[in-house]
Amino acid sequence: MRKFICILMALLAIAGLVSSYVRFLEGMKVTNLTSSIPWGMWVVFYIYFVGLSAGSYLISTLPYVFGFRRLERIGPLAILCAILALVTGLVFIWMDLGHPFRFWKVITNFNYTSILAWEVILYSLYLALLLVSFWFLKRCELVSQAKYSTGMKRVLAKFLSFSFSCPQTQEQYQDCHLFSLNLVKYLGFIGIPLVLFVRGGTGALFAVVASRPHWFSGLLPVMFLVSGLLSATAMLLFIHHFFSTEKERQENLPMVLILRNLLLLFLSIETFLFASETLVGIYSKIPERLELYHLVMFGPFPYIFWGGQLFLGLIIPVFLCSYKKTRRTSFWLSIAGLSCSCGVVSIILNLVIPAYVLPMLKGLDRAFIDHRLIYFYFPSIIEWLSSFGLISLVVLVFIYLVENLPVFSRTEIKF
Amino acid sequence: MPKIKELEGKGTLTRRDFLKLGSLAGLALTISVMPKVVLANNEEKKDSGKTRWKKGDDILLRMLDDLNRALLKPEQERKWSMAIDTRKCVGCFSCTISCIAENRLPTGVVYRPVIEEESGTYPHVSRRFFPRPCLHCENPPCVPVCPVKATYKRVDGIVVVDYDKCIGCRYCITACPYSARYSDFGENYTSPLQPYEKLPSFEYQKKWLRKKGKSPIGNARKCHFCIHLIEDGILPRCVSTCIGRATYFGDLNDTESLIYSLSKEANIVRLKEELGTKPTVFYLI
Repeated sequence: MRKFICILMALLAIAGLVSSYVRFLEGMKVTNLTSSIPWGMWVVFYIYFVGLSAGSYLISTLPYVFGFRRLERIGPLAILCAILALVTGLVFIWMDLGHPFRFWKVITNFNYTSILAWEVILYSLYLALLLVSFWFLKRCELVSQAKYSTGMKRVLAKFLSFSFSCPQTQEQYQDCHLFSLNLVKYLGFIGIPLVLFVRGGTGALFAVVASRPHWFSGLLPVMFLVSGLLSATAMLLFIHHFFSTEKERQENLPMVLILRNLLLLFLSIETFLFASETLVGIYSKIPERLELYHLVMFGPFPYIFWGGQLFLGLIIPVFLCSYKKTRRTSFWLSIAGLSCSCGVVSIILNLVIPAYVLPMLKGLDRAFIDHRLIYFYFPSIIEWLSSFGLISLVVLVFIYLVENLPVFSRTEIKF
Repeated sequence: MPKIKELEGKGTLTRRDFLKLGSLAGLALTISVMPKVVLANNEEKKDSGKTRWKKGDDILLRMLDDLNRALLKPEQERKWSMAIDTRKCVGCFSCTISCIAENRLPTGVVYRPVIEEESGTYPHVSRRFFPRPCLHCENPPCVPVCPVKATYKRVDGIVVVDYDKCIGCRYCITACPYSARYSDFGENYTSPLQPYEKLPSFEYQKKWLRKKGKSPIGNARKCHFCIHLIEDGILPRCVSTCIGRATYFGDLNDTESLIYSLSKEANIVRLKEELGTKPTVFYLI
């Protein structure tokens, strides 16, 4: 089964690489974006992956900063997940640029009034912080792996240990590890506000657009933050089950149950915020907002709301996390996580695209007829393939790293 | 031309002779006209502030006077503005088309669409037309969001895009409350490209040829009041081609100008004023 999934992922990754090449060769005309709907699928995945990264890092701070030791075993996995998710998110937004090879201009022509420009700086700092945290947490194990493993594992560990040679004895290792834990803890003091700005800022990118009532809300950055935490908890539940041995699943069940509770907590907060925003919007009877809600629920893609947001994003996870036969089973909880992740993508999809669907000025949709001016968007084949291809590629890299790096600390450290 | 051919055929005037004669005539004309042009320019400078437009003349001439008077002032003392009289607009779309032709706009990029508005029920129906260029807001929401300062407001009030800086993130398109910005997706009207689509555009007083991966392909694009024309003392294309003379253009800081007097009318409307964007383009209704 696992082999089959890997082959499928590899095929998708190849298709994704080919379509990304086509995108860079032909430019943005291979997308189905229009001047009326200028942000589409790639932006949706950018938001999702940045959220996943921010949420994963915040969950990793629970053991390292807040001393929640029962979640310590998932700490390195969460940080690795945060690193890869952030890189994926950034690749998505890079691919979405009309001139992707001018991205460096954000630094040379920095506009301090632009949230997007600040986000680029914050992403760079955040990525550096994640890499440093992960390296310090795993450096002793990397050294040990470089000494006693063979093949690619050894090469990879040797390369990533950067000639570090710490543990000679058990005491030295204890000291070294303690130092690393302290360092990660203090980095967390910088990291937590940083990641709040990173994720809140992504929400603010949308929330500050005063002319789009669907976005213009102070709640949006908070919703983005919660959706990030939710997607991270959901994904960690899934990843943990997927990568663990049966023995580890049994051993880590208390941790999985904590993650389950966290999932329910974040799901409740997200639902509350969403309901609050929607109900206030409906009650206000502002025609634009009412029309938008109607569009989301009964428009051309109602299944994103009913099927994605409600069924996959809320009903399935709540059921699996509360039903007595599934709520203590790692497998079903991982399915709840996967389902919830699909729900979060649906929430983002319904947040980004419908905001564009109503013309800013009445009659503008009929003022000039052109296929690049229409108010309808469905991703092109290149968009689908490049998106799912990139995701598959990242999953393969993730599988490779988890299997070849001491993420789960499966082997004893030798000196 | 047929006459020349005829003459050539009879052998009374060779092509060489014709060219010689033509060059001489051209030279003579230049010599005779040049002092007048110089004089006129000097006179114009002396007469700055005066208008040569007389009542009954085409208002285009008055706007030309206004424009040339404004160009004598330093850039920071000008404030370009546009007015659109919806009572005079006949919905001919000349402005839309001439703008596309002037700026060599590709498919999917239209700086000045005309919105049609129909109201009432038969037999009491009316129709109005709202051309919508960039409104060149005083507080443009598109400017602060640009991560690379590619879009900015010039001192004379025109909101522009620096094609060489723009990274094509399309955040400005998202932020504009009037949908007055477009993304150039790199498509063309014809395939294989017809000669007219290979011609360069001269936006922002530079020469832009459409080449894959090069600006303006991949950039955000918008109306710029035809800067390349107004800097040379020519009215924006949408103004000069408006058959109903429904579009006015000029310097709002010039109290003598037509646009200034129109801006003081009671029946003016600015779009989405509640957003505080303060558009410099206004409508007369």
